[in-house]
Parts: sequence; structure tokens; C-alpha cells
Amino acid sequence: MPLTIRTVKEINRRDILFSVARLPRSSRLFLGSSDFKVHDLDVSQNNPQSRELVGHTSYVTGVRLAGQSLISGSYDGKLIWWDLENRRATRTIESAHRRWIRGLAVSPDGTKLASVADDMVCRLWNTTTGVKLHDLAGHAERTPNHFRSMLYVCVFSADGRHLATGDRVGHVKIWDVGTGRQVGSVEAPILYTWDGVQRIRSIGGVRALAFSPDGRQLAVGGVGRIGNVDSVAGPSRVEVFDWARSQRLCEFTGPQGIVNRLQFHPQNDWLFAAGGGSNGFFMFYHTARRAMIQQGNLPMHVHDVTFNEDSSTFYAAGHNKVVVAEIRNSGTIGERGA
Amino acid sequence: MVRKIFCGSPEHPISRRGFLGTLAAAAGTAAFADMTALQVLGTPAVSADLRRNQKRCILLWLAGGASQLETWDPKPGAVTGGPFAAIQTVVPGIHISELMPKMAQRIRHTAIIRSLNTRNGDHGGGSRLMMRGRANEAGLAYPDLGAVLARELGRPGSPVPDYVSFYSATEGRYNVTPGSPGFLGARYGSMDLTTSMVPENIRRPSGISDQDHLARAGLRDFLSRGFERGRSSDSLESHNQAYQRVHGIMASERLFDISREPQRIRDQYGPTLFGQQALAARRLVEAGVPFVRVGRAWWDSHGHNFETHEELVPELDHVMATLLDDLEARGLLQNTLVITLAEFGRTPNINSQLGRDHFASAWSCTLSGCGIRGGSVYGRSDPTGNRVIDGEVGAPQIFATIYRALGINHHKNYHVGSRPVPLTDPGTQPIREVLA
Repeated sequence: MPLTIRTVKEINRRDILFSVARLPRSSRLFLGSSDFKVHDLDVSQNNPQSRELVGHTSYVTGVRLAGQSLISGSYDGKLIWWDLENRRATRTIESAHRRWIRGLAVSPDGTKLASVADDMVCRLWNTTTGVKLHDLAGHAERTPNHFRSMLYVCVFSADGRHLATGDRVGHVKIWDVGTGRQVGSVEAPILYTWDGVQRIRSIGGVRALAFSPDGRQLAVGGVGRIGNVDSVAGPSRVEVFDWARSQRLCEFTGPQGIVNRLQFHPQNDWLFAAGGGSNGFFMFYHTARRAMIQQGNLPMHVHDVTFNEDSSTFYAAGHNKVVVAEIRNSGTIGERGA
Repeated sequence: MVRKIFCGSPEHPISRRGFLGTLAAAAGTAAFADMTALQVLGTPAVSADLRRNQKRCILLWLAGGASQLETWDPKPGAVTGGPFAAIQTVVPGIHISELMPKMAQRIRHTAIIRSLNTRNGDHGGGSRLMMRGRANEAGLAYPDLGAVLARELGRPGSPVPDYVSFYSATEGRYNVTPGSPGFLGARYGSMDLTTSMVPENIRRPSGISDQDHLARAGLRDFLSRGFERGRSSDSLESHNQAYQRVHGIMASERLFDISREPQRIRDQYGPTLFGQQALAARRLVEAGVPFVRVGRAWWDSHGHNFETHEELVPELDHVMATLLDDLEARGLLQNTLVITLAEFGRTPNINSQLGRDHFASAWSCTLSGCGIRGGSVYGRSDPTGNRVIDGEVGAPQIFATIYRALGINHHKNYHVGSRPVPLTDPGTQPIREVLA
């Protein structure tokens, strides 16, 4: 099914935006920023002016909605709950993690928050009380080459039973949300480039994860093997697994750069990917047919994307920009587990 | 009874054992009898003398250009500052990146210079500038820092190399290796270790035993001494010195063998190559090598700068802190200058790949140990790190400071033919604020 992607609005920013969430049935976005703030921005306005939520002391790398609350996570290791009407912090967990928080996810029923950080632990929290439910530990703190590792991303399955986490060296673990136990794993080592000859350092890692609507497949995204680790000048790459069997089903590559966001179509097997290198890109991939449907450019390196209810619009946040784009002839890609 | 008189006459037979024993007692051949420089220098009298008097230098060369904003001159909260916080060091008022908690506890050994403006953002040109302290002139090749220190701090007839360089990555290797002795000549060139921790081609052939090796050296020396009687020649002396140096360097293989260190020392430096080479550097300076460069490549973080520095800066922090601790524990730090330096720093501006690019307008280096007023900061950059606003210095001033810290007169002249060539350009002043 052909797709037409049309950019309807570009909002220039001075900051770098790492995460985006959208208030349902609105164009009101919440953006995690490099200026250490969360920005409340209504993109339907002609000249949108953001309202600031101030409380973090480093890059805000995760923003997610849980009911009427917005929850943010940051490199400062803090989680903050925000009252959206008053734009005040209602709860702050100062040392939610002892190192930099990289991402957040909220369960489909809105009751649980997952946070991942470079202390290599994923933590599950009650979104209403802020009580910690589980520590999901098992990702190695050091890479095979003795350097600190990083834990980048987490995502819930559509039924909320499972959670996946992905790290620097391509390890992906799947957890039972109820018990906090690991129930599976897949490996995507191509997404991690260690250069032990030219530059003696590394780049890459698992940057994006998405469960298929039936929960059986897990898409893993990042950048493929890079010859020069000075930049992300390698092929963007996605691998799709039958995670219960630890079996890779397919993989595809795209424009030069790194995939930072993945999301499955809830009804017809399309897989959406977005990311960037020097510029930004998006891809729509048909996993059943194993064919690229559409790919194109975006005007900035994209860090996060969210969709509206009928999937006619997506909102991309990234380097110095917010982009609003309309999709024609699409199915319905709704917001789940994000 | 075996006579111990040697004149070459068949009437005075030479006992092999006596011959070797006599040679061993002769001045200048001690290294032959005991081929382990560390053992020779480990005698209390000798090692104490070295500790008191000989200056040495270890250069931690952060090839590719480490970011000053993620190390020594953080700007948290600035639009250019990035995500990392600054932490208070043990010296009130001095903050460095949160990625360096160990050095924050040891900053009393270290002077930070935050006001380098060297105007060359090219890897090759910047490397040559920052290794020589000045740009070459047409027709005049200046020696690099290692060659100058080999000349100024090396001991005549030293059995150990004077200038050792470790550089294992292939990227950027030829910006600094081989070392450049310039007009000082090959005598002060570097021993470059790139593919191995141990010098290659210095082992004796397997078919020659230690005893035969010693005997050959002894015989050559005996015959040379005989030839020298009644003759005076610089080339003869140079020839003998060259053989002494060869034998010494052959013996110094053990200096590079870090497996000879106790496991706990090796564990302290850690399992990375950089740590291992820093440990080798300590062994070398302890044995009297005046200059060792440990090149840690490759910091050129055009993309994913913060993750690159999250990977490399903690390693630098750990290795540098361990090295300073080790030198101090051995009584060597007061006579050893430890430098962190690169060809340039990195842009305050963050590009679209979350990277920082080449930047030579406002960056940092450090000097620790010998001759340095530790716990000091010289110079300032503006709140975003885009320019120097106080205490601007370039490569010449850094080199004048290094020489002064090591007790070398930076105004002294070498001569190229009849032309006097000063160590630093006339009028160059060291940064006195960081000198002890």
C-alpha cells in the first residue's frame, strides 16, 4: 500500500529534543530537552511557544504520559512526576538510578513505568504511587573490552506482560513484567561496532525496540557495522526476531545513520523506523512481505516519534526541530506502550 | 693458578672467567654483567640517586583531540555544556568533569591550563605543532619534545633508551610516529612501539647463549680499548657508546615486560591497553628513561561525542590517577612531569550527530608532578567555551613551561651549523603561575 508522507510543520528550536509524548486527542506535545527542561508545546498554534517544566539538572531523555501525569527521566538520574494543569512537580525520585537515565516506557494500561539507565538496571515503578516494583538486572556493566556499558531502551508488549531492554553491545533481554524475571533474550551484535585496531573504541548499540501487536516478534534497531567510529556513518539497521525462539526472522538496512525509534503497526505488520545521522530519515517496512514500503528524509536527526490516534500524523523530535508530518493511505498506528 | 693479566701475549693466558670478571668490574660495563637495567638501578644507592636528581617526563598523548568540555573545563548548564555535570575537586574552587572523580581527588598534583589557543585544527599540523612547540621553518626541522628531553635529560652512555613512544592504534599514528629528532639527529630519535608492547628485533639470536653474548661484547670492547691506546677520536668513542647502547637496549627488553610487575600493580592499572602502557611507562622512567609518550587514540568524536567520552574519559581518569599514585608511592613524582596534551580540543557547538568537531581556539592541557604547582588553574574560557578570555597561551608557552618545570633553560641555544637556535623563540615566557 503506497504511502505519502508530507511535512506540514517544522518548528525550529535552539535545543536538542530527545523524547516526545503527546496528550491524547490533541496536538499538545511534551518534549525532553538538552536545556534540562521539559517543554509543553502545542504545535497546532501558529507560533507555538513552549511552557517550561523545570526540575532536572541534565539532559531530559525520557518523557511519557501515565494517565493525567507526565513522567520525565534525565541524565541526572531523577524521575519526576508532573501535574500538567499546574505544571508543577508532584513527585521526584532523586536517585531513581545512580547513572544516566536513557529512556522510559509506560505499560499499555498506564499502571507501570519502566526506566533504563547506564547503571545497567531497568526499574519498574508504580505510576500512581511511585513505588518501585522490580529491579531488572542482568545486562553487564562492562563491555567485553572492559569499558562501561550503556542501557539505552525499554519497551512494553501490547498486552503489558513483557518488557524488552537493549544495551550497548547488542544484548536484548525480555522480562516478565509480573515477576521481574528474565524470560528470553536475543542478540544483535552487528549493532555494536568495536574498533580495536584503528581507534580503539566503540559506537552503536541497541537504540530502539518494538514488539509486534501479537507480542511474538521483537524489532531491534540501531546502526550496522561502521568502518569509522568517529561518527554514525554506517547503514541504519533493523533486525526482527521471534524472541521466544531467539530466532532472527529478517533484517533490513536503510539510510546512513542510526535508528532511534521503532513502532509496529497494530493491524497490518508495518514497522516504522526513524533516526538520523547528519540528517534524519524514516522508513516503513512490511515485515510479512519483507519489503521496504517507503523511506524518506526528515530535516533533522530524529530521536523520538509519537503518532496520533488514527495514525494520520506523526510528531518527530530531534536536533533543533520538531516536525509534524501527515501520512496518507496508512493503516492505524496508535500509541501503545510508549 | 690463573693469571689475571691480559696483554695478548701467549705467555699471559687469558682465563675466560677472569676476563669476564675483570670486564664486569670495569667502569661502563656494569650493564653487560647484569643485563637487567632495573636490577642495576634497583641497588639502593643508584636508585636513590636517580630519585633525587634525574628528571623524567611521561606524556599522555590524547590523539584525535579530547574534549576539554568533558574533561578539564566543563560548562554544565551552558547551551554548549552537554549532559555531564562538573564536580568539586579537593581544591576549593576547582571543578572538573564528573567523568573524572579519581583525578578530582588528586588534583593537588596537577595544574590545569584552560586557555590554549593554538589556531591549528588539523590533525597532522596540530600534532606537529603540539609535539614541537613551534612550527617548522623552511630548511630547519625542529626536534620534538621527546628528542629535546632525550638530549637534555638523557645520561651519557645510558644503557636504556632515551625516548620511547607507545602508539598502538593505526588512526593518527603517522601524525606523531616516528618521533622527530629534527636537527638533533637520529641519536635522539624515538623507539616506537606500535604493534607490540615490547621492542622488536632486540633479542639475541636463539643460537647464542647469554655467556657467548657477554663474551662477544667483552672481546669487542677489549679489542677496541687496545686500538684506542694512543689514539683520540670522537668517532671511536661514539662507536663504543653505540655498542653500549645496543647492548643496553637489548637488556632493556625486560623493562617493557609488565608481567614482571606484581599482579596487584597490574590490576591497579587495569586491563586496557592504555593502562598497560602507562604501567610500562612507569617502569621505563623508573629505570631512567627520560621521556615516554603513551599515545591514547582516538578521541575524534564527530559523532556521539558524549558516549565516546563516557567510554574514554573514565579510562583516562583511572589510568592517570593510578600513574600519579604509583609515581608518588615510589618517590618519583617530584622528579617526573606527567602531561596530558593533544593536537587540539573540541568544539563547544554540538553537531547533529551529537558530536563535537575540531577546535583549537580554547582548549586545555594539564601538567602534573615535577616542578609544577599542583592544584592550580591557569587561564579561562568564556561561559560557553568558545574563546579564551584570560591568559591566552600557545604552544611556545606550554613548551617553555615544560622545560622550566624540568629544570631546562628554555632560552638555551642549540646550534645548527653556526646558527644559534633557541629552545623556544625569543621572548617566550613560561606560565609562572603553574610552576612550583
